[in-house]
Amino acid sequence: MTKGLAVSTAVVAAGLMLSPVLGAQTAAPKAAAQAQPEKWNSIPPLKASDYAGKKPGPAPRRDLSGIWDAPEFQGARQVSGALEHPALLPTKGGGSQGGQSDETGIAHPVPYTAAGLAALKANHPSGPGVRQFPAALANDPLDQCDPAGFPRMELYQFRTIELVQTGNQVIDLNEFYGGWRIIWTDGRELPKDPDPRWNGYSVGKWADDYTFVVETTGLNKRSWVDHAGRPHSDELRVEERFHRVDHDNMELTVIINDPKMYTEPWVALNKFVLHLQPPDFDMAELLCSPIDMADYNKQIGDVVIEDSGKK
Amino acid sequence: MKKRLIATGAMFIGLLFSSVSLSAHHGNAEFAIGKTVTVKGTVTKWFWANPHCILSFDAKADDGQLVHWVVETQPPQSIVPGGFSKQTFKPGDVVTITLEPVKNGLPLGRMLGAVLPDGTKLVTGHLD
Repeated sequence: MTKGLAVSTAVVAAGLMLSPVLGAQTAAPKAAAQAQPEKWNSIPPLKASDYAGKKPGPAPRRDLSGIWDAPEFQGARQVSGALEHPALLPTKGGGSQGGQSDETGIAHPVPYTAAGLAALKANHPSGPGVRQFPAALANDPLDQCDPAGFPRMELYQFRTIELVQTGNQVIDLNEFYGGWRIIWTDGRELPKDPDPRWNGYSVGKWADDYTFVVETTGLNKRSWVDHAGRPHSDELRVEERFHRVDHDNMELTVIINDPKMYTEPWVALNKFVLHLQPPDFDMAELLCSPIDMADYNKQIGDVVIEDSGKK
Repeated sequence: MKKRLIATGAMFIGLLFSSVSLSAHHGNAEFAIGKTVTVKGTVTKWFWANPHCILSFDAKADDGQLVHWVVETQPPQSIVPGGFSKQTFKPGDVVTITLEPVKNGLPLGRMLGAVLPDGTKLVTGHLD
């Protein structure tokens, strides 16, 4: 820096310090924020174009570790149900306001058994979707701060996950409602007739150097498969295939297999691309707190419903 | 008050008269999807937390009466990318809010966008 520039910079800095207290308070933090990027509650890239033009390095062998984002711009929120089977009519967004007793006519039907269809109808989702129910009749366990469970943590509000690989485990930390699970890689068998878990029992192994296959069982049937209220029984088995495409990208496929509820396995996510984030990415907290929910209901939730009921 | 599990339509009447408990979190059905209302008013409260952030503000109706609006957004980390923060609104701020209202005409809705006192325009981005 030339001396002249240094002097004028000092003058500007002095001017900032002498400005009214409020001005100084807003000027200093802004400068600090520009000097150091936000380290907490990180925001992933928001547009597909943010990833365009990047040339990722090759995939590391047998390595899933890192913080992976499931972007909203790819449909990760899945508010109408699992991405491959939203509970919507073929017309764009059609059926998003409910009014149907079942999923007849949706663009990509799910292969229900009779028991599966009956179980579906007992689940009352809040929508949007062909079976959207008013709040007074909705019975989504999530609205009472029950866990999302598995596989719903990947089939609704799928946001960011962190995968940590150890000698005998892959640890999966999921942002939505703080779901976590251990995927055992020590060769053990899945348990027979275990006590049900919301997040299940998982084992995983490498099918090849770049494809990790996980089987999950022992799932608590109180959980919904997705936000459209797709049901499952205690016989549900979920297969995930994590395919490390290159250094920055991983494809996730999720297959639902429940012979009591569905006549055949169905694909809930099909090669959904997860994007590697920098190692200092700080996941935001999105926990469901009953006391936060009660506060919210006091201000808006209850008011909306009580008056909806007065029609 | 007993909690009631809704099994059939006949029990719906019973629910109207029982207390609304934790299952009161509303969904899409209560909103007039696609409808947009723009209201100018004065902020009274900005509640920044899960599951929804809530902006309370007062606006004058045509007859001069104060209408107390309560408008929600998605959780904090869903609207931070749009430029929102805990400091975005302060009591006394005069703001213009674009919202999707509830169907029954009450002054409640979901925020679509906001114009702040200094003219800054913010957009929440989505409603789900």
